Amino acid sequence: MADDPALWHRLQFAFSITYHYLFPQLTMGLAWFLVYWKWRALRTGDARCATAARFWARIFGLNFAVGVVTGIPMEFQFGTNWANFSKYSGGVIGQTLAMEGMFAFLLESAFVGALVWGEKRLGPRRHFLAALAVALGSWLSGYFILVTNAFMQHPVGHVVSADGTLAIGDLGAYLLNPWALVQFAHNQAAAVVTGAFAVTAIGAFYALRDAYRDQARLYLNHGTVVGLAAAVLVAFPTGDAQAKIVAHYQEPALAAMEGRFETGPMAEITLIGQPNVKERRLDNPIKIPGMLSFLAYGTFHSDVRGLDAFPPDTWPPNIELMYYAFHVMAGLGTIFIALMGLANIQRFRGRLATSRPLLWVLMLAFPFPFIANTAGWMTTELGRQPWLIYGLFRTQDGFSHVVSSGDVLFTLIGLLGLYFVLGLLYLYLVGREIVHGPEPGMTGAAHG
Amino acid sequence: MVELWFGFLCLTLTLFAVLDGWNIGAGALHLIVGRSASERREIVAALGPLWSWHEVWLVAFGGTFLLAFPAVMATAFAGCYLALWFVLWSLILRGISLEVGGHSDDPLWQTWWDFVFAVSSVLLAVLFGAALGNVIRGVPLDETGTFSMSLFTHFGVRGRVGILDWYTLSVAVFTTVLLAAHGAAYLRLKTTGQVRDRSERLARRLWSLVFVLFLLVSAETWIVRPAFYAVMLQRPAAWLAIAVTLAGAWALFTGLRGTAESRAFVGSCAVIVGLMAGAAAGVFPVMLHSTLAPEHSITAYTGAAPVHGLAMALIWWPVALVLAITYFIVIMRNYRGKVGPAGDAQGLY
Repeated sequence: MADDPALWHRLQFAFSITYHYLFPQLTMGLAWFLVYWKWRALRTGDARCATAARFWARIFGLNFAVGVVTGIPMEFQFGTNWANFSKYSGGVIGQTLAMEGMFAFLLESAFVGALVWGEKRLGPRRHFLAALAVALGSWLSGYFILVTNAFMQHPVGHVVSADGTLAIGDLGAYLLNPWALVQFAHNQAAAVVTGAFAVTAIGAFYALRDAYRDQARLYLNHGTVVGLAAAVLVAFPTGDAQAKIVAHYQEPALAAMEGRFETGPMAEITLIGQPNVKERRLDNPIKIPGMLSFLAYGTFHSDVRGLDAFPPDTWPPNIELMYYAFHVMAGLGTIFIALMGLANIQRFRGRLATSRPLLWVLMLAFPFPFIANTAGWMTTELGRQPWLIYGLFRTQDGFSHVVSSGDVLFTLIGLLGLYFVLGLLYLYLVGREIVHGPEPGMTGAAHG
Repeated sequence: MVELWFGFLCLTLTLFAVLDGWNIGAGALHLIVGRSASERREIVAALGPLWSWHEVWLVAFGGTFLLAFPAVMATAFAGCYLALWFVLWSLILRGISLEVGGHSDDPLWQTWWDFVFAVSSVLLAVLFGAALGNVIRGVPLDETGTFSMSLFTHFGVRGRVGILDWYTLSVAVFTTVLLAAHGAAYLRLKTTGQVRDRSERLARRLWSLVFVLFLLVSAETWIVRPAFYAVMLQRPAAWLAIAVTLAGAWALFTGLRGTAESRAFVGSCAVIVGLMAGAAAGVFPVMLHSTLAPEHSITAYTGAAPVHGLAMALIWWPVALVLAITYFIVIMRNYRGKVGPAGDAQGLY
């Protein structure tokens, strides 16, 4: 890996996109909570919902701001760090990156200030519309970015020009890439899980401290209902569909995800175990026979091809990391369903706000959707390797050859420092908002 | 088709220069115009709820650049690697300072973020100015069709140039003063009391300085790239740009002498639009001019994406532009008028 000339470029992009995506997933997850609360407050005059929207809008605003400032470098890195990739595919991916800026980002950034600070000035109806515009903008933004990524996973809608570069052939096919549709459903459901866990965690925090009782109950109720629905949707049908599409288009990636080295029927799912790539086996495996065959192809006796069926130069280069990324994601996803299921049972029994051990778990669970989302994206992106555009263009060919490793390391170190400070600042400010707490009435936002 | 997309690209960049230009300019003057903490809060409030929307025009520019001229975008951004990252870092710092500065009343907290806001704004103005200087002077493109430019080399304008030399530094100084003057005209329009009066005095002085520096930079441009004016004067678009600049200058002059705050501000916007359009008309069709040999230059025609893709994007791009401007009008209708001295944040917005 150290002799990989693209190493620093890859690390910088991986770090900056991973860090960046911690924020948009919460933005996209919280956005519809805000819309719903604003709508309830508007329709029924429910003051609890108005207070909830006001409180969460402040956290949303901070989160959005960090998302914006860490997002802008992403687009420019296509040029600075991945110039050869941009020259090769800009005629295709430029379409959606420009759409993201022109349609989505301009929409959300126009209304986010009004959403966070404009309640008094806009009045309830227009303030609700601002929340709706921000939610639509952020999801639209996600869609255009996922279409761009889907093209790298499963290129469709392009033609090869005379000079060897790619150009758009069929814009409709490109925008409605089946990979993008499945990935969008899966990813957005997972973003809602992040949002729901955050709402639930703060509800649990207030309930444990016996503060803001009404608000705590509201967050717990809404958070756990949405959390359960979204956690189930992440697994089925969206996660299932995602696995099938990987099985169809990126067979070596599926084999690597499962740590499956040999082809055969009754392919098992491994719950835990350590891949030993040199010996081509899983050490200490605990597995369910036939499950992988069933999940990928619908019958237990289907053959699932292992890595042995593919030439080694098409294997994802980092099988171990990919295996763990996938298992962390799938394992956490299962735990989320169980935890939210339990919380909903307690909610039905009217004991959600009083069962303290469960509240502790719900409060401390909020980081795990971030980890699961990150692990899911690592699975996707590592599975694409060694290709930058699957089957068309290798990662080795994509980086900016004119930029020296010294320059890239310089900016990577700078970004690490800057983002570390940014993270501290974000945690401090969000912490302050949580301690400050939701307060009824508009004058609550004395600071800010 | 290529001409049209060159125009759209310049439009996004011009919108960014005008809209975010007043934030950058106000930021550069932040510590001078705002003397007390409450005056500085008033300045930030005057920038309004849309500063991130203004910044997003840079994202729209980047996306449109990749869409229409992928080879130019990739060559230019990779070639100016470090300078571009300094821009990105400055944007991060500027955004954060604006966003979190008001989150605490603590005087140390506010002093620090006001300082970060001012420094990052000056850096942005200098870097964007240097970028403009590089576009006009040219970059060391060689026979491989690529270049990699250091931040500085021999500070001369021929051969193996760096990002900074005597010419690009002059353009950077000119741009910084220009954006500061633009920011002052904006603050004069949006604030009251001491902040307004200081902005007015600064606007008058800075715009006089802009005029002097403009003559100087124009003369330097004639030395650095003589063809610039020859090309420019053949183009009707350039004459239009000159007319817009002159009309803007007239509105500024009369607006600043009297009390017509809006007129002066509109003039300020028009001057920037005119200058950007004039610069675009002077360089077109060359997008990356080679300082080593003219035949290595990359033009809009050689760097554009295939026509079919450009034609398809023509269906949706103008729609998005109209929508974006609609949002802007909707929001600005709710934020008309001056902001008062700092009270609670909800009242300011």
